Amino acid sequence: MNVDMSSPIEMKPLRLSGSQPFTQQPGVFIVLGERTNVAGSPKFAKLIKEGKHEEAVGVARQQVENGANVIDICMDEGMIDGVAAMTRYLQLLASEPEVAKVPFMVDSSKWEVIEAGLKCMQGKGIVNSISLKEGEEKFRRNAAKVLKYGAAVVVMAFDEQGQAASYEAKIRICERAYRILVEEVGFSPEDIIFDPNILTVATGMEEHNNYAVDFFEATRWIKQNLPHAKVSGGVSNISFSFRGNNKVREAMHSVFLYHAIAAGMDMGIVNAGMLEVYEEIEPELKILVEDVLLNRRPDATERLVDFGEKLKALGSAGSGDAVSEKKVEEWRNGTVEERLSHALVKGIDTYIEIDAEEARVKLGRPLLVIEGPLMAGMGVVGDLFGAGKMFLPQVVKSARVMKKAVAHLTPFMEAEKAAMVAAGEVVKAQGKIILATVKGDVHDIGKNIVGVVLACNNYDVIDLGVMVSCEKILERAKAEKADLIGLSGLITPSLDEMVHVAKEMERQGFKLPLLIGGATTSRAHTAVKIAPHYSEPVVHVLDASRAVPVTTSLLSDEGKEEFIAQHRAEYEALRKTYAAPQRKAVDLVTARARRTPIQWRAEDLPMPEFIGIRVLENFPLATLREFIDWSMFFHAWGLKGIYPRILEHAEHGVQARQIFAEGNALLDRIIAEKLLTARGVYGFFPANSVGDDVELYADETHSTAIERFHFLRQQSDREGSEPCRSLADFIAPKETGLADHIGAFAVTSGIGLKELCDRFRVVHDDYNAIMAEALADRLAEAFAECLHKRVRDEWGYGREEGLSPADLIHGKYQGIRPAAGYPACPDHTEKGVLWRLLDVQEKTGMLLTESFAMWPGSSVSGLYFAHPQARYFSLGKIDRDQVADYSARKSISVSEAERWLGPNLNYDPAE
Amino acid sequence: MTKARQYHPLETILKDRIAVIDGAMGTTIRTYGMKEADIRGERFKSSSKDLLNNGDLFSLTQPKMICDIHRRFLEAGADIIETNTFGATSITQSEFFVDDPREHGGRKDPEFYQKIIDDAMLCDLAWEINDNSARQCREWADRVGNETGRQRFVAGAIGPLTVSLSNSPDADDAGFRVVTFDQVKTAYKQQVRALINGGSDLLLVETIFDTLNAKAALVAIREVFDEDGFADNNTELPIMISAAVGRGGETLISAQTTEAFWNAVQHVRPLSVGLNCSLGPNLMYPFLAELAEKADVAISCYPNAGLPNPLSPTGFDLGPPDMARYLGKFADDGLINIAGGCCGNTPEHIAAIAEAVKGKAPRKFETRR
Repeated sequence: MNVDMSSPIEMKPLRLSGSQPFTQQPGVFIVLGERTNVAGSPKFAKLIKEGKHEEAVGVARQQVENGANVIDICMDEGMIDGVAAMTRYLQLLASEPEVAKVPFMVDSSKWEVIEAGLKCMQGKGIVNSISLKEGEEKFRRNAAKVLKYGAAVVVMAFDEQGQAASYEAKIRICERAYRILVEEVGFSPEDIIFDPNILTVATGMEEHNNYAVDFFEATRWIKQNLPHAKVSGGVSNISFSFRGNNKVREAMHSVFLYHAIAAGMDMGIVNAGMLEVYEEIEPELKILVEDVLLNRRPDATERLVDFGEKLKALGSAGSGDAVSEKKVEEWRNGTVEERLSHALVKGIDTYIEIDAEEARVKLGRPLLVIEGPLMAGMGVVGDLFGAGKMFLPQVVKSARVMKKAVAHLTPFMEAEKAAMVAAGEVVKAQGKIILATVKGDVHDIGKNIVGVVLACNNYDVIDLGVMVSCEKILERAKAEKADLIGLSGLITPSLDEMVHVAKEMERQGFKLPLLIGGATTSRAHTAVKIAPHYSEPVVHVLDASRAVPVTTSLLSDEGKEEFIAQHRAEYEALRKTYAAPQRKAVDLVTARARRTPIQWRAEDLPMPEFIGIRVLENFPLATLREFIDWSMFFHAWGLKGIYPRILEHAEHGVQARQIFAEGNALLDRIIAEKLLTARGVYGFFPANSVGDDVELYADETHSTAIERFHFLRQQSDREGSEPCRSLADFIAPKETGLADHIGAFAVTSGIGLKELCDRFRVVHDDYNAIMAEALADRLAEAFAECLHKRVRDEWGYGREEGLSPADLIHGKYQGIRPAAGYPACPDHTEKGVLWRLLDVQEKTGMLLTESFAMWPGSSVSGLYFAHPQARYFSLGKIDRDQVADYSARKSISVSEAERWLGPNLNYDPAE
Repeated sequence: MTKARQYHPLETILKDRIAVIDGAMGTTIRTYGMKEADIRGERFKSSSKDLLNNGDLFSLTQPKMICDIHRRFLEAGADIIETNTFGATSITQSEFFVDDPREHGGRKDPEFYQKIIDDAMLCDLAWEINDNSARQCREWADRVGNETGRQRFVAGAIGPLTVSLSNSPDADDAGFRVVTFDQVKTAYKQQVRALINGGSDLLLVETIFDTLNAKAALVAIREVFDEDGFADNNTELPIMISAAVGRGGETLISAQTTEAFWNAVQHVRPLSVGLNCSLGPNLMYPFLAELAEKADVAISCYPNAGLPNPLSPTGFDLGPPDMARYLGKFADDGLINIAGGCCGNTPEHIAAIAEAVKGKAPRKFETRR
């Protein structure tokens, strides 16, 4: 078994797992947390004995927070039912994500307790321990069981004769155990961890003096002779004779570890609070301790005892049990909102009641705490879960914390209600929700989680189970006077059953919202296939974390209307998207062959009055006013309708007339007092298209290119019935030899806007601040429209239009003015070309941000195309071939192009 | 366990080329337009609950259709076909044959499930499904194997159950479990024995969303091997393991990340480990790559045809060319030894996948100890 040390084999690391993997790192000591051991922590023992298992979970969490890599769990105590306690505690830990991520060590001298523990661990843990104490057969049998469940194992250096104290006995037993495990049981050697017994030194008995040395030597031998095997031990044993003198004990632990790790010890049960930093041990004490541990002189024990007595006399020995278990919890320094959010995201319930109370006092009403910081925290949880950064058990854990907070607030809400009832007000009952997996489907783990999350948020949840018929669901909903029904299903046919339930609810005249969830359901399916059959809201709930925000919104008096309106609009949009015929993509070559068919004729290419740029300083706002599209103004205020009809609208008319009057009043002031300044720059340039680019030239010879715009081409397949359009199609190709032109512009009406808004906000007049922004936006758009009129005039053809401002607003003229970042040319970075071309920053002060947004707000920029066949279109999805081509044209990387074109990609760039 | 182990012929194949495993049973069954009356047949005519979605029952009541599907997958090029036994345990079958106590204000708990696993009707039914399905697969695997001169293998499919050993459905008690480890193990042991009895070549613990459930299945397999003499006779069946992971690479219910999962199951020294179902090939890629990096056994991959999309005809996003492209890429990247499809993959998908991985080098892996 001796290994040739001249060619040491590489040590296989110990690999374990909780919900996260754990791999031993070379040279890094593995810390086994010992506070969840009834023998190691009186506090833990007390909690377990009193049946306070939930509270005891906090002890495990603290261990993990304090850096334990693995936590040792031991329930060996006369008064404790080991099997029941081990099972219960590990099942609770499984629901505690911060703890469940680390591997567990099930520690017991009773095999049945160990086996109970193995049945509760999804990961690969460690069994502590087995030994040859009761003979080879039992050892072999238990080892095979450990292997069957998949765990590493601690083997105590113990045999039929008893505990191995001497070096010789230790190595003899370890070698024998190793041989049986590897050769007979089939254990992986790296999963074998020997505990060669750390025995107490300095007891006064001479035969104990060499115990530490024996341990070091045995460790060294094991590491050299039993390939891949590990060594562990319970460190605090070494110093038992100095109980009550923590200073000495801490020094002993530290010095012991120093030598044991040098000998090859891999891991140990260590209380981090009982460990001095090796370098900081007083030199005198260190020498005395080393004399004892290394058995260097016969009077070593006496000398250390004397030193210890001296320390005691000085009162600096320290005798507290757990010296510094607590780490300063920095998150406690945040605002109460931050603390609540942190507690929810991390699933910590320790302070949740204190914080909920603080928030209640701060916000005045208990409901405001729930709807404010608590819901916001759950929103964060939902977002993290949606992004794959939190997992289901953590969400459930968060919900449980939420429940605690709500439980604290409930009595206050009850009192508030009672007061309202006393005052004669009507009080709405708590939300009651019926949950069911629909007929034909047996899957309900996800639905159960939704039930838990809702129940934790104080909903009255009635779970009808799985395979529930429509009749049963609706009967029960009526009988219980439910506020909501939630349907779940995992398999595809369940979708049809959900449609059936929706139809029945409509037929029976139900008035409550319907929630849809489950793995195959989707927002689109709900919108397209289910919602149209039922007049009340039918809402898809993506996952458990979204259930509470949705139900809360649907049942809240204030938020309900807005939520439903927004929800209906979203679903309507989804239906429209779906109704649009699905199109396939064609490759770029085909798409280019399908360019807009234009017969190029010189007479369709008007000549502008000038070439180059012109600056518009202080453009009169009164002129711009004529070009305002008021429909968009109302749209900005959430009123959807066409101006001027909206002023007479049955429902919104009153409101529309009011904001119209107030908007115009403010606009009067803006114009009269010159509160805003409009400024712009525009120009005409000789141009030809070259492929999908448009080249701009210095002069009419079209010989020197000065700039280049890069356009994209539609790739959706309409079987040739429609062209695959690109803006480049609307400029005469270079090969035609025709002299074409393109216009460009950048305008703003936002100069002075910030100052104006600040003035309103200082006096808390947010309404007028928003109004000013809305007006400035309209003025900028009006500016673009007005300038477009001038450009058409200067191009010549505009002078014969004879259109009214209303016609102009509705675009009833020849030519277009697409803007970068809009559907025809979605790449915002093309604004960079425009800025260079028109020298925008220098001429107007308008800036581009890093993300190519324009500053100030209320700015518009774009290009003017004059050709009669030029038209707006939406690029839609494009494929890899075009993105590669485009990035080459722009001399940027494909990944950068993909970043800017994200929403238009017909593929996943991560692929 | 130190006896010399014979190499399974499939292991030799996996070192030589990428093997193909079949597609989805459930979504393929649906293309046959079966109705409630068809699954009931005479035998389950008066069953009180709907049975249509208890797809495993079709192996008893519509064996012709099921065998037709097996045949089509084999002819599409599958080296391995799965038995139609995803839910063939007393525990899962109880959902279709036993009143849900929650309908009457009760709850499901270990007491309830003890009655289930002791229920003779459910146990007999579970046995019958597993045994029959394995026989049907055996017959067609051998028949097509003989016709084409290429050996085919039957994987006894062991599904995840409708209950979780890691999760509490009780809002007030995070430590509650509806069922115990031993109950789950008992149900699985029965399934394992019936699958072997019917002639399975391999045992496939799949669509694992709770590793503790999977460990119960693996313990069940070990105990059957030990108790029934397979260990002594050196006739243990190779084990394949496959997890269903979410967007963070975690098992869907118990939230264990990929490497942690491998650490938890590698002690059984499976023939292969891999991922199936859930995310579809695209989102699965990084986790498959991680698994391929950490695990020293063959790697399998049989994803859903993309994400569930109830608006598409198959219920899933991706068609045969898409799946072929993805799995072809996985093969190019040297990640896999076994390729196939899960939900939404029809025989046409499998044919496309088989074509895509043909002639591509399998991932290199160490010979099992």
